[in-house]
Amino acid sequence: MIPAQFDYVRANTIDEALALLAQNEDAKILAGGHSLLPAMKLRLAMPSLLVDIGRIKDLAYIREENGGIVIGAATTHYQIESSDLLKTICPLLPQCAGHIGDVQVRNKGTIGGSVAHADPAGDWPAAMIALNAEMIIASKSGERSVKADDFFVDLMTTAIEAGEILREIRVSKPGGRTGHSYVKMHHPASGFAVVGVAANLSLTSDGKCERASIGITGVAAKAFRPNGVESALNGAALNDETIASAAAHAADDIEANGDLFASADYRKHLAEVYTRRAISAAIKSVPPA
Amino acid sequence: MKIEGTHEIKAPREVVYQAITDPQILQRCIPGCQSLDKTEENTYIATMKAGVGSVKGTFKGNVRLEDMQPPTHYRMTVDGKGAPGFVKGTGIFNLEERNGGTAIAYEGEMKVGGVIAGVGQRMIEAAAKMLAHQFFTSLDKEISGGDGKPVAQ
Repeated sequence: MIPAQFDYVRANTIDEALALLAQNEDAKILAGGHSLLPAMKLRLAMPSLLVDIGRIKDLAYIREENGGIVIGAATTHYQIESSDLLKTICPLLPQCAGHIGDVQVRNKGTIGGSVAHADPAGDWPAAMIALNAEMIIASKSGERSVKADDFFVDLMTTAIEAGEILREIRVSKPGGRTGHSYVKMHHPASGFAVVGVAANLSLTSDGKCERASIGITGVAAKAFRPNGVESALNGAALNDETIASAAAHAADDIEANGDLFASADYRKHLAEVYTRRAISAAIKSVPPA
Repeated sequence: MKIEGTHEIKAPREVVYQAITDPQILQRCIPGCQSLDKTEENTYIATMKAGVGSVKGTFKGNVRLEDMQPPTHYRMTVDGKGAPGFVKGTGIFNLEERNGGTAIAYEGEMKVGGVIAGVGQRMIEAAAKMLAHQFFTSLDKEISGGDGKPVAQ
């Protein structure tokens, strides 16, 4: 279908994009366009102005900085999936990227766009929560940092306010005996997560769980942290029983969503099953002591 | 699609009932409601600019309040149409005195069709819940003045 009429401006810098946003409250930021453009073509979204930040050169990067990892908002899923640096120091990110959509989507879609869009079935939000990522949000008055736990507010709603742009994502470098995994049930048609679970575990020298950090997407209106699972794992010896009993808390106090494909109860059941699998896979990925 | 839930407001039942049947208060509390004009007794024509994230649509439709039994019960029927699709629904509100305040139990049956139902199916339930939550949060502020205390009448 054909979108409603709109203006298009290609911004060369973040400041230019921020100035354009300030001038027009009906403007939308365009990055990879893989969520926004389909909505526009169906006329579900009809912004009067698109501000394209997808070609700002210094907005697509992956590098180590101050002992952490920084990723520019306009970095594509494919750049993350294929990053040798990330495969070495933070394999959860390339693993998660590889689960997104298909090759075309991964080549064009960006991590910043996906995170800012906050689709309830998007893959990145789960990984952002599991990695305790920080979102750096730019505005005309400077920058602020928001933790992943506070960033995802509700269905397609984030902490980004009008006139602000997500500029960078920061993740601390996992150290010691840590393991990661992202497991997902793909929707057979759309490839979106019916359920997606990202797990980030660190183990003590005697093989107990030192700290577990988990994010679940696809189940509720927004990705969330299953606090009950984490507290059951922290300090526990890790075996099939402890993992299963911890995973049973995956959807505690969660109002799950139902649709034609999966009912709310089925999604809650899947959350438990996939949490169990994510934890087991994360433990397997821990390098030997 | 069904949505249901209970929301508690710290105000007497009569006050709450009056608020959720008052078109001016409803207009301020229904997310994105731009106008709610009376056409006949308990019947209104509404314009709503409703949306979630980048997805927004303007809906026009009729709202009718029926089966009114103050201060405990009424039914609201909505019949709206817009560029992204149509919405038809009935919501039943039951008010009960609880903990010195009022519990509003709501039960809605909604039909959504058109483009929004075709491509947004997986999100409609979450969107409806989110809008319901926004409605009750605004209603809370409207009645309690935002500090949880009933305002003087």
